Amino acid sequence: MKEFNIVLAGVGGQGTLLASEALGMAAVKDALNVRVSEIHGMAQRGGAVVTTVRIGDNVLAPTVLEGQADVLLGFEPFETVRNLKYASGKTLVIMNTEKIPPTELAAKNVKYPGLDQIVQKVHLFTEKVVLIDAAQLAKKAGSSLTQNVVLLGALAGTGMLPVKKQSLIEAVRELVPTKHVEINLKAFELGYESVKEGHKKA
Amino acid sequence: MPDLKVLLKDTPEKRILLLGNEAIARGVLEAGIAVVTTYPGTPASEIGDSISEIAPEAGLYMEYSVNEMVAVEVAAGAANCGVRALTAMKHVGLNVAADLLMTLAYTGVRGGYVIVTADDPECYSSQNEQDNRFYALFSNLPCLEPSDPQEAKEMTISAIEMSEKLELPVLLRTTTRVSHTRGPVTYGNLKKPNLHGEFIRDLKRLNMVPAFSRPKHTVLLRQAAKAKEISETSVYNRVVRKGKEIGIISSSSAYNYAVEAADLLNLDAGILKLGMTHPLPEKMIVDFLRSHDKVVIVEELEPYLEMQIKAIAKDYVPNAQVFGKMSTEYFPREGELSTRLVMVGLAKITAKELPIDFRGIDEKYAEITKDLPSRPPILCAGCPHRASFYVIRKVGGDKALYPTDIGCYALGMSPPLNVGDIMICMGASVGTAQGISKATGRDTIAIIGDSTFFHAAIPGLINAVYNNSKLVVAVLDNQATAMTGHQPHPGTGITGMQGPAEKVLVEKVAEGCGVKYVRVVNPFETREATAMLKEAVRQSGPSVVVFRSPCTLMDIKEKRRRGVKTIQAKITDKCNDCMACIKLLACPAIVVEEGKVKIDEVFCSGCGLCISVCPYKAIEGSCAE
Repeated sequence: MKEFNIVLAGVGGQGTLLASEALGMAAVKDALNVRVSEIHGMAQRGGAVVTTVRIGDNVLAPTVLEGQADVLLGFEPFETVRNLKYASGKTLVIMNTEKIPPTELAAKNVKYPGLDQIVQKVHLFTEKVVLIDAAQLAKKAGSSLTQNVVLLGALAGTGMLPVKKQSLIEAVRELVPTKHVEINLKAFELGYESVKEGHKKA
Repeated sequence: MPDLKVLLKDTPEKRILLLGNEAIARGVLEAGIAVVTTYPGTPASEIGDSISEIAPEAGLYMEYSVNEMVAVEVAAGAANCGVRALTAMKHVGLNVAADLLMTLAYTGVRGGYVIVTADDPECYSSQNEQDNRFYALFSNLPCLEPSDPQEAKEMTISAIEMSEKLELPVLLRTTTRVSHTRGPVTYGNLKKPNLHGEFIRDLKRLNMVPAFSRPKHTVLLRQAAKAKEISETSVYNRVVRKGKEIGIISSSSAYNYAVEAADLLNLDAGILKLGMTHPLPEKMIVDFLRSHDKVVIVEELEPYLEMQIKAIAKDYVPNAQVFGKMSTEYFPREGELSTRLVMVGLAKITAKELPIDFRGIDEKYAEITKDLPSRPPILCAGCPHRASFYVIRKVGGDKALYPTDIGCYALGMSPPLNVGDIMICMGASVGTAQGISKATGRDTIAIIGDSTFFHAAIPGLINAVYNNSKLVVAVLDNQATAMTGHQPHPGTGITGMQGPAEKVLVEKVAEGCGVKYVRVVNPFETREATAMLKEAVRQSGPSVVVFRSPCTLMDIKEKRRRGVKTIQAKITDKCNDCMACIKLLACPAIVVEEGKVKIDEVFCSGCGLCISVCPYKAIEGSCAE
């Protein structure tokens, strides 16, 4: 299999680590070779976080080369922009529209820019952009803490992933606490359907 | 996180996704290691944490030691009774243990003993990016370097076997990109750990007085020569690919980049992968140099391989052309490598065109990110350190100086808290504060966490009492080794075996050291804490103020478990958007929307600090318990 590269970008506490681990587990379930890179440490919450998932027979390095992401899964608009160096014309950007203003903005009394401005920047790298209101879908699923799983569902919904939808669902089931499984699976489906619908329209 | 019990499964041949550090933990179980010691430190922490989770069930002994030196002492003691042992630490931890390491190489061990050192190129969560392969060279001990999780597991087992064969400790050196990479790992058979050792009195072997050390030095060099023979035939040192155009020698995470970069450049490259990097397989390297016109050394950080390979070349293949980072810097000596950096270096050496327009991407990226606000790591909403820093700043102001230390509280150096002026290594705040206080005559408040206090500050504190230094030691006690993942420590009353323990209290230690003014405060009781700290600053000698409140992340988890509802702070009509809360605290839960101050209900933990700092009493909610 040719390589498939995913970059997940968000803010500490949003669950990017869980999402990337789920993708890695799904790949192993499907007997694929995979590398997942994580950065732990400094600040448990609130800092910029980026993880990468690379699937493919010849993959050795865990990190993604500039311009070589197949998907950039942005958990937050600013963090999506911060990782556009991994994107190029071939990249699909899936972006959560839920904003988390960095403290620097409040301190300088600067407004968070509008989504249209953010999307304009994304368009300088790729035309392929899908916007998701993961916060709203997560609430609908039953907990605003499931935005990461909504986004995973959305990623699966694109039909681009080299892993089976069912394997990814199984991975989520294994990774989230038992009492939250149902809510998370609902979140996954809501994300999945939202993108499938979107693709049909386009 | 998945259930770590998965590490205990007796299912040989099963393929499971594991973090490099978890793979080392699995290696512990497959190697039958019976004693594991550690002091937590990124990027090594999950090795000890995984073992702590499963130790009672696996039948092995695990401890969070007070520091890396003690961790190595405990494990070396056990290993000298014939028990298999492993100690895990971050790279700088080995500096702490270095005194022991250098002479432990002389005494050697009877049971296999592996020291895992996890290096951190790029300083993702460290104060420096030292290259610990030099410790292998320095101590004459063998060193293995895995490049992925599968190898990390295999090498843990091989290192134990090699250690027993040579009767020497063996270093297992990872980097962040090995320790914190997940990949498929195929299980092998579990081996039952044997915790029953026997101590054999043998002064010539174990008591390193000069008369016994001298002959042991000779023994060490003899064993190192044997290790070199092992290196020549090791499965970890091998030509993985033959090629005519160029030869590449690489190891560790750099190897992954080297292979991918050579492929992207379509190079017909021969590749020698080194997994045992001390001692180096001299004959194998000579053969490789002879069979390639040009040889490129791809390695992260220091030119550790390059120096030695060039020395080998000088003796055996003087006309060899060796490229790396020494005479001409084809690869950087600082920061972590990447496939890109390796491609750029290889392209220069081979005069190939880069297949990706990196410069174009850089320019476009620089353009769109020039106004992008940074999002550095910050203290969590509800973090008790924020309250402590608010109080400390209020008392010390701009006049006092604030030597600080390693932990979450290092983040206090940023505005608006601005507490933290010098930070070097574990425990250094208390010592440097004494020199600064003497040299400047200014009020000096040393900031240190609870785990770091136990780790390295006690001799410094005794020094302050003995030499009557004027300083305040502010111990920010959040009841955990928080930044590395909330591991327990001597003050928590819990052990690595998950059993109860005697709580060692910071204030008792301080009193025992002879400090006259010792107080314990709750940082959220800002008025009382301020008064106590003011009094501490007025003392003519050393004083200690313990700011005690649990890490908010643990607190929230505990409250959720007990079903206690958090009462979040609320902005009332009295707010005139003066921004004092934002300017004083920079709490991530306080945001500004359309010029109005708002409390984010997802982030607010209900700590109540903003309630006590608001000059207009315009914030309501729960106050500190």
